[in-house]
Amino acid sequence: MSPRRTDTGGRIDRLKTIRFTFDGAPYTGHAGDTLASALLAKGVTLYGRSFKYHRPRGLLTAGVEEPNALVTVLKGEVREPNIPATMVEIHDGLVAISQNRFPSLAWDINAVNQLGGKVLSAGFYYKTFMGPVFGPLKGTRFWMFCEHFIRRAAGLGSAGSAKDPARYERMNAFCDVLVVGSGPAGLMAAKAAADQGARVMLADLEPRFGGSANWSDETIDGAPAADWARRIVAQLEGRDNVRLLPRTTVWGYYDNNTLAALERVSDHKEQPGKGEPRHRYWAIRAKSVVLATGAFERPLVFPGNDRPGVMLAHAAERYANEFGVLPGERIALFTNNDSAYRAAVALKKAGAAVVAIADVRPELSPEMRKLAAEAEAEIFAGHAVVATEGGKALSGLKLQRFDMTNGALIGDARSIHADCLLMSGGWSPTIHLASQAGAKAEWNAARQAFLPPKPTQQWIGAGAFTGSFSTTEAIAEGRAAGLAAAGGQSTPAVLPVVEAVPGDPDPAPVFEIRAKGKSFVDFQHDVTAEDVRLAHREGFVSVEHLKRYTTLGMATDQGKSSNVPGLAIMAEALGKPIPEVGTTRFRPPFAPVSIGSLAAERFGDLKPERLTPMHDWHLANGATMYSAGLWYRPMIYGHAGETVEQAYVREAKATRESAGIVDVSTLGKIAVQGPDAAAFLDRVYTNMFSTLAVGKARYGLMLREDGLAFDDGTTWRLGEQDFLMTTTTANAGKVMQHLEYFLDVIWPELKVHVTSVTDEWAGAAIGGPKARQILAACVTGTAVDNATLPFMGIVRGEIAGVPVMICRLSFSGEMAFEVYSGAGHGTHVWEALVEAGKPFGLVTYGLEALGTMRIEKGHVTGAEIDGRTTARDLHLDWMLSKKKPFIGSAMMDREGLIASDRLELVGLISLDNKPLNGGAHIVEEVDEANPHGSIGHITACCYSPALGKHIALALVKGGKARQGTRAHVSDPLRNRFGPIEIVSNHFFDPDGSRMHG
Amino acid sequence: MLITCPYCGPRDVIEFTYQGDGNRERPDPASQNFEAWNAYVYDRLNPAGDHNEIWQHSGGCRAHLKVVRNTLTHEISSVVFTRGDHGRGDHGSAARGKAEDKS
Amino acid sequence: MVERQSPLEPEFHVGSHGNFEHGVEILLTETRPGSIVQVAAWPGEEKKLISAIRTVAGLALPDGAGGGVSDGVKSVFGFAPGKFTVADEAEGLAAAFARVVTPAIGTVTDLSHGRTAIRIAGPKAEWVLAKFFAIDFALPAFPIGAGRSTTHHDIFVQIQRTGADQFDIYVFRSFARSFWKALCHASEEVGYEVQ
Repeated sequence: MSPRRTDTGGRIDRLKTIRFTFDGAPYTGHAGDTLASALLAKGVTLYGRSFKYHRPRGLLTAGVEEPNALVTVLKGEVREPNIPATMVEIHDGLVAISQNRFPSLAWDINAVNQLGGKVLSAGFYYKTFMGPVFGPLKGTRFWMFCEHFIRRAAGLGSAGSAKDPARYERMNAFCDVLVVGSGPAGLMAAKAAADQGARVMLADLEPRFGGSANWSDETIDGAPAADWARRIVAQLEGRDNVRLLPRTTVWGYYDNNTLAALERVSDHKEQPGKGEPRHRYWAIRAKSVVLATGAFERPLVFPGNDRPGVMLAHAAERYANEFGVLPGERIALFTNNDSAYRAAVALKKAGAAVVAIADVRPELSPEMRKLAAEAEAEIFAGHAVVATEGGKALSGLKLQRFDMTNGALIGDARSIHADCLLMSGGWSPTIHLASQAGAKAEWNAARQAFLPPKPTQQWIGAGAFTGSFSTTEAIAEGRAAGLAAAGGQSTPAVLPVVEAVPGDPDPAPVFEIRAKGKSFVDFQHDVTAEDVRLAHREGFVSVEHLKRYTTLGMATDQGKSSNVPGLAIMAEALGKPIPEVGTTRFRPPFAPVSIGSLAAERFGDLKPERLTPMHDWHLANGATMYSAGLWYRPMIYGHAGETVEQAYVREAKATRESAGIVDVSTLGKIAVQGPDAAAFLDRVYTNMFSTLAVGKARYGLMLREDGLAFDDGTTWRLGEQDFLMTTTTANAGKVMQHLEYFLDVIWPELKVHVTSVTDEWAGAAIGGPKARQILAACVTGTAVDNATLPFMGIVRGEIAGVPVMICRLSFSGEMAFEVYSGAGHGTHVWEALVEAGKPFGLVTYGLEALGTMRIEKGHVTGAEIDGRTTARDLHLDWMLSKKKPFIGSAMMDREGLIASDRLELVGLISLDNKPLNGGAHIVEEVDEANPHGSIGHITACCYSPALGKHIALALVKGGKARQGTRAHVSDPLRNRFGPIEIVSNHFFDPDGSRMHG
Repeated sequence: MLITCPYCGPRDVIEFTYQGDGNRERPDPASQNFEAWNAYVYDRLNPAGDHNEIWQHSGGCRAHLKVVRNTLTHEISSVVFTRGDHGRGDHGSAARGKAEDKS
Repeated sequence: MVERQSPLEPEFHVGSHGNFEHGVEILLTETRPGSIVQVAAWPGEEKKLISAIRTVAGLALPDGAGGGVSDGVKSVFGFAPGKFTVADEAEGLAAAFARVVTPAIGTVTDLSHGRTAIRIAGPKAEWVLAKFFAIDFALPAFPIGAGRSTTHHDIFVQIQRTGADQFDIYVFRSFARSFWKALCHASEEVGYEVQ
């Protein structure tokens, strides 16, 4: 006999057939099926192999807590492992495979691990693979040697390596009331809050709202509970203050009532809609939260409780009532509480034979006896299951008389023939989110469960979550919670009337039946009751240690099914009551979360890019772009067949011979405005700016508070109270923050506003012997001769009908000008300059040539201002004003910062005529075999077309004193050793005659 | 973690930049007292409990804020502009607070 | 007059896109105001600045942080204590402000080239914006006319609500194309039209 689909009943659509494959075999199911229910309906009993022992495993549950039936879903090349089959909605074309088996699920080589059960007990890997204390595999090397084989044999599904083409999104949401869980409590809460006019979000991890209403046989207001639920959902759907989120797992509860949820938007579809994401990560800020997350049924711990065909009682009830699937034909039940009797009746109604109900309790209430009679089941009060039989499916079980006061088994065992055994060990409220929110759960002796703590954040519990397991209570609590969460007054109201089978919510305090054989506590990690006791014997007395040593409650399970039985067994071993043993705190996520949803849109080409106004021109004119932070800048404008080096050498050479133009729009630009702007700059820069005339620019250096160099750039005085500060590209944001900090925190009395105007201006630097002639050819409204536009002078004029600001300053060492125009006119001005430059041999140049010319000139950039160097190290001490204090002035003269052996900026010339490498060390004597004795390192290097040599800038110990001496580069990583000469960093035109013209 | 900016209202911590210990006193700029400068530049309090911190709402109005945050619970008991009443004016925190209460 | 180049140009494709077969629920456009100006008051001078804004732009600012107003041609909103963004279809706003906002009141900074104004409108505007920004876009929390400063990763923006279903987003010009692409991408699922 085997499981089968019933002819009627369930919330599936028998008229819609869906085709899918599992382990390569074709199957059909119906709309509304999960992979688990569809396979179960086809008689499949074997779903996976266990983590360690490779034991055959079937379905334990029907929901998110499923520890056994984990599958991998394949979408094209992409594989997603470890999804509970109970959470996979089937669709046409679904491809799912089982995990942790080789070569197949039915014939699994590693099932031999079962024979070594005693050896593979808790801590097996820790103990065994410590390795010998000497020899080639000593210590952890032995583990590393064995790990490869172990990883293959033990574990869950394997992750794929194909690029995931799916779309993931992040959503930010705000609401007054977030209701988590859509059972009767959640629905009532959402409705009550929505009726108050609150903004409500209702999330449920299942595709169907309704929770237990979808599978209980109860009626609400005279209608089947599922119909009632649908009616409420329809009412909520029609309201614009309610957002319904099906297939949405709220997985994290963080500070300030911020919750994280994962919506599986299109996993259940064959193809997502156009632009539709696969998953959506919801960051929800809720004023208050209603936790109506229900409860998980607990397994009982007894030998053979993991055999396929052994299932939780409510799961069977759910398969029968929600999916129209009978998990067996001859069903036995084993329980310590009343709730299982409801399942017995449901399965009987659905067409199964209920052959026995074994109850650990000696006395049963008349109501339970009546239900058993209704199910036509024989009752075995004061009995326990002590063994199960069968291989890949259950064939029978053994019962024995059981004394629950002392756990003793009495008399002979008795065999029962059954193909399905349902167990119920009581219920644990799903308190994960409340626990994450920061409070400790409290043990309730009557319920034999951890109940939610007193809220530490703005949440209210309702229904089974609070330990109120009846639907009547859930409805009342749900409404009250919804009202309270929405800030409404609790008013008496006529509540929906529930008709349900009676039942005592309190189970007998029995968690384990101790008999011969493996009794599983954590099915997912193959942790047995004996493992828990072994951990105790070995001294792991803290519950946190127990968890880590045995792996109890780890991985996707997170203690959903195993937590309380594990604690109960530990408590018994310790001889302490459960509340004294305590429980581990639940941490996010409640259920596995796709990494894609966490990264959301921030990957691939969707990461932000910053583009200069002339970006498209550069692309259209052969530039190879280079990413500098978020910016994209031309590296070279290569000609056909040119190498990068050939291109930059050509560009730099042409610039020094005639003229070159480079896009400098990325330089940070900050408007510094206000009556105190000049005074402020005097404090910020090491040199004086209050003395700067309007219409002039000055090179400035900033230090940090600790006296080290921070950033440099030119600042232009555009008006008495109006400065334009430029910064290096990389430090623009940092400098802005630095200025804002001092204005807001240190000197709030200064009347200065700073505004980022980086994007307001397009900048083109044009330099070279012909630069002035080119400007003269295209600039109108101003002269550009030496008198009108001296070094560091600023003029305003027009180019091609567009206003421009021109400052004569030079980074290349040539006679050079920076031309600024409104960013929207950047390309227009650039094109006009390029056109005007044609007769003069103007070239466009990129970062490589820019870098080459700055190295030739010995100018510093971020490679030298590296957060460790001082102004003196960089020979910028001439900029340190003695007339005023400035940021860093008090700390810059500390002993360590003025020592004579500090790394100082020097130039290097390669004496073997071979290229130098950035990062290579400088040594006095080369020792290739044993490189040591670094006296510094190279910060920047190039081939200098002006010198015809390979040169570099370097920071070298006491570098200034070493000028004129020889040393060596030592670069063992790149196997580059060779002689160099240490020279001044000013390689080219040291007196600046070209620049000053 | 949320910080309630007096201008922008409650915003996610991702919009803010931590700008250091708010207990530091910057010595007089002309002071040559190394001890005092050293304490200002390098010494930081690290209390388990309420801590005075400077945060910048760098992803919002860019104002710097004096924040009292409990380092154990993240609970924020006070947020004010570092400029004090400077910068509040008609478009400052008082009006914002009212708007928040209504919603 | 030389026309200003839009930073969006190569990615600005007029027409319907994405899942538009089921209806267009988002309209995207670049409003290209002639002027975008930042005006900022010294502490205590805010009232004078607000009155200067009324003089120059003819717009009366409502009270409250982030308060703002738009008449369809000119718009103004507060984005930081004592600081306001003013936009105008016409050019020349910065010069007009410079005549009225004296150094005793505050400063005027012309950002007409430096910020790009992108308008998103339609029934799903709040939905799409919620994908980017962790602020509450619901009308009661973000009334018409009001402004907000916030960020999407590295992209800093100022947003003004200029209609029940309409928002104007001021983004740094260098980031505008990147942000525009992301905005189009995020609008695909609901169908969008670029105008």
